[in-house]
Amino acid sequence: MMKFRSKAIVGLALVVASITALAACSSSSSSSPGAAASSGTPVAGGTATWAELPASTPNYIFPFDSSAYISVTNSSQFQFLMYRPLYWFGNGGSPTLNQSLSLADPPTFSGNNVTITLKPYKWSNGTSVTAQDVMFWLNMEQAVGATDYGAYTGFPTTVVKNIKAVSPTELTMTLDKPVSQSWLLYNDLSQITPMPAAWDRTASGPSSCATTVSDCTAVYQYLDAQSKNLSGYVSSPLWSIVDGPWKLSAFNADGHVTFVPNTAYSGPVKPKLAQFQEVPFTTDAAEYDVLQSQSSSSKLDVGYIPPQDVPAKPADAAVGPNPLSSHGYTLSPLYTWGINYYVVNFQSSVSDHAAIIKQLYFRQALAYLMNQAAVIAGPLKGYGTLTVGPVGNNPPTQWLSQQGKAGDPYPYNPGKAKSLLTSHGWTVVAGGATTCTNPSLCGPGITQGTALSFNFPYASGSAWINAEMTQLQSNALALGIKLNLEPKPFNQVTALAAGNCTVAKIPCNWDLANWGGGWSFAPDYQPTGETLFMCGSIANSGGYCSSTNDAYIDKTLTSSDLNNMYTWQDYLAPQLPFMWQPNAAYLLSEITTSLHGVLPQETTLNLTPENWYFVK
Amino acid sequence: MTVFIVRRALQAIVVLLIVTMFTFALLRAIPGNVAVAIMGPGAYRDPAAIKLFDSTYGFDKPWYSQYLLWLGHLAQGNLGYSWNLNQSVASLLANRLLKSVVLVGISTILALIIAIPIGVIQAVRRNKFIDHFFNGTSTVFYATPSFLLGLLLILIFAIKFPIFPAEGPQGNGLGAILSDFNALILPIATLTLITVALFSRYMRSSVLDNLTEDYVRTAKAKGASERRILYRHVLRNSLIPIATLLGLSLPGILSGALITEAVFNYPGMGLLFYQQAQKQDYPTLLGITVVVAVATVVGSLLADITYAVLDPRVRYT
Repeated sequence: MMKFRSKAIVGLALVVASITALAACSSSSSSSPGAAASSGTPVAGGTATWAELPASTPNYIFPFDSSAYISVTNSSQFQFLMYRPLYWFGNGGSPTLNQSLSLADPPTFSGNNVTITLKPYKWSNGTSVTAQDVMFWLNMEQAVGATDYGAYTGFPTTVVKNIKAVSPTELTMTLDKPVSQSWLLYNDLSQITPMPAAWDRTASGPSSCATTVSDCTAVYQYLDAQSKNLSGYVSSPLWSIVDGPWKLSAFNADGHVTFVPNTAYSGPVKPKLAQFQEVPFTTDAAEYDVLQSQSSSSKLDVGYIPPQDVPAKPADAAVGPNPLSSHGYTLSPLYTWGINYYVVNFQSSVSDHAAIIKQLYFRQALAYLMNQAAVIAGPLKGYGTLTVGPVGNNPPTQWLSQQGKAGDPYPYNPGKAKSLLTSHGWTVVAGGATTCTNPSLCGPGITQGTALSFNFPYASGSAWINAEMTQLQSNALALGIKLNLEPKPFNQVTALAAGNCTVAKIPCNWDLANWGGGWSFAPDYQPTGETLFMCGSIANSGGYCSSTNDAYIDKTLTSSDLNNMYTWQDYLAPQLPFMWQPNAAYLLSEITTSLHGVLPQETTLNLTPENWYFVK
Repeated sequence: MTVFIVRRALQAIVVLLIVTMFTFALLRAIPGNVAVAIMGPGAYRDPAAIKLFDSTYGFDKPWYSQYLLWLGHLAQGNLGYSWNLNQSVASLLANRLLKSVVLVGISTILALIIAIPIGVIQAVRRNKFIDHFFNGTSTVFYATPSFLLGLLLILIFAIKFPIFPAEGPQGNGLGAILSDFNALILPIATLTLITVALFSRYMRSSVLDNLTEDYVRTAKAKGASERRILYRHVLRNSLIPIATLLGLSLPGILSGALITEAVFNYPGMGLLFYQQAQKQDYPTLLGITVVVAVATVVGSLLADITYAVLDPRVRYT
């Protein structure tokens, strides 16, 4: 999924159980900054209010999102509260499988056979979550996934030849070929969200998508149409059947959403709050005004401080000074599980620029001019992380190699950049135009006299990206490389450069591009490279193509041996298929000190207010 | 008068057609793929989805065919569907329009109520202290950007002295908005303070012009008191330019106040247009254009009619 930058207790017995759980939570989270900020007695109930990102309001409830509706806002922060994915990813801030919160045990493998065993979860209407409910999603994916599922990977069609619900709690799959078990779990099974039998219908009555793939198109159309009736979400007999910890009690198309606990939730962490509210904001400045104001009618319990208002963080501190600490808030940055980069177009149709970009020495020179550390310390005020290659490094996971853990493969070094250019036949003119004076050294397709001058559209909506681009432009000009920056709206940059121009059959007349957000690994959480880096992949927007890289990626898809991941990333990171740039914090969260359980925040961006509780 | 209204209504239809055609063509000239703008960059993963989207919604047809298709829907009262927001444009506009009308409408009326007496006082006390005082004050507010004034009001009255909320009413529907009137005070104050200057300057100038007219001298010669001359004769005639100005304010009332809406977390029409323009949400942009174009034409017509009512010498045939 692409980043979009460019976040009643009933009955005495239940009260007793809740208080017991609260006490446990209190002790387990006491080391988190939020919990440390205030101690107190946990109280059951209360309403927690959470600020939505500006102009990001949930607007699609059916957890089978098409490209138009798939987003963190709709899935991680709305649908997942009510409809749980089969496997839950997010483990104390790590983007790994959370077995406890998953609806099924981890899959077991025997040769090419995969068995999935469901846990005893219930829908809110009393029926069990069954293997047939999983088949419902899988059949729909087979029927309409290619056109109507926004995170379509080809699964199950491309890897599975037979799927069968062998019992209400067990489902088996036969794979076409051996695949990496972890890749299948993290990137394909991760997408599944079981759907209740009551949804298996059309306007004319019950259908059988759960058993017959050909019935699924009509069912999808019906459910998609139902999801367009925003005012009917709360009263809908379809959408009120949930298996997650929350159910909707109010929904307004303007973004005001209220959840109440699903008292029939079968999972291990029951909600302690009486209500959870999401509230919309026009701008981050308006949200900050509300955080600062004590008179606001909608006091926020979890909000965010705009990057422009936060003081710089000392390099050695986890969190810097917080202007809202006197208002009773704790600051905590939230990072996404992903990587950030700007794109170099290996297929640029501008003059002989593709020939230049294909030269590794040129990309290395450009990489040495990107001062990631300075961008983090400067425009990002300390709230950013280095991007070190194709595998995310925040938080470090089992997939990150030692080389990746070592940091930026090309730390800022204009001297090395100059040396790379001069040793490859370029005459460097500081502040002027560096030209190729020895074509035999410059590389094939580069003619004598060619100057290093490139067009560079970038998304101008983010202050730190603007500053980074200006800094890079200045660094490049010092070596006679002219970057012609073209600030554009985010949508225009992504429309131009987020797809492989040759494969997508769109114009290739751009050299470098930056939409600012790079890539988030969700709902395909294992950072294998088939989506972004394989030859001909549609999301391989720069068109980098290497048979060696493809062979390494293949190994990561067919074997779970982590060494394959290490070999691949250690090869690819210095190849610079994209130009690595810092990963900014997704949000600088502000959490009221009387609310516990919010930390640690999940890098998968999944929202889990069932962990939250107030103290007094 | 009836003939005049009918003729103007017919002209309005032609104007609306031209406006929508221009807007439609301009929107289509924005670089970028509509399907990708709607579905997000993730759509590139899935070229089949882009193709399906284009054919389903007619984006694979020439722009004039798309325009005729849209026009056909409009004739049936269908303003289209916002894929970005997953709502019909009509329901979207109904919600946002009400918010803008309440905010900008109340502030316009309030500005008029304040500006008319100020303008009259300034004219009557021309070049006296009170004239200079109102001149200076209104010029300061008129020159202050609305975002700055809004932020200052929030800083003083919501953060330093928490008297009012920092954001506008968050409910939907007239009842919900008005029941949280306390939250409307700062955004209304922001717009009113800026608008008062405009109306009061026009009023002052208009009253001054009328005070030198022959009919005022005649009234004085007939022994009419100054109060009678001012309120019975001068005021009525001085309101003519204000009526024109008010008529032309109608599109502004309906199109919202982008900056004030953004500052006070009060999503109305202005903010909707700005946000959806960035997302290339054509149906919503066209829907807003139609509403504002209609308001412009109607506002202009109302101004003309009011003009005729206020000035009996004006008659339309």
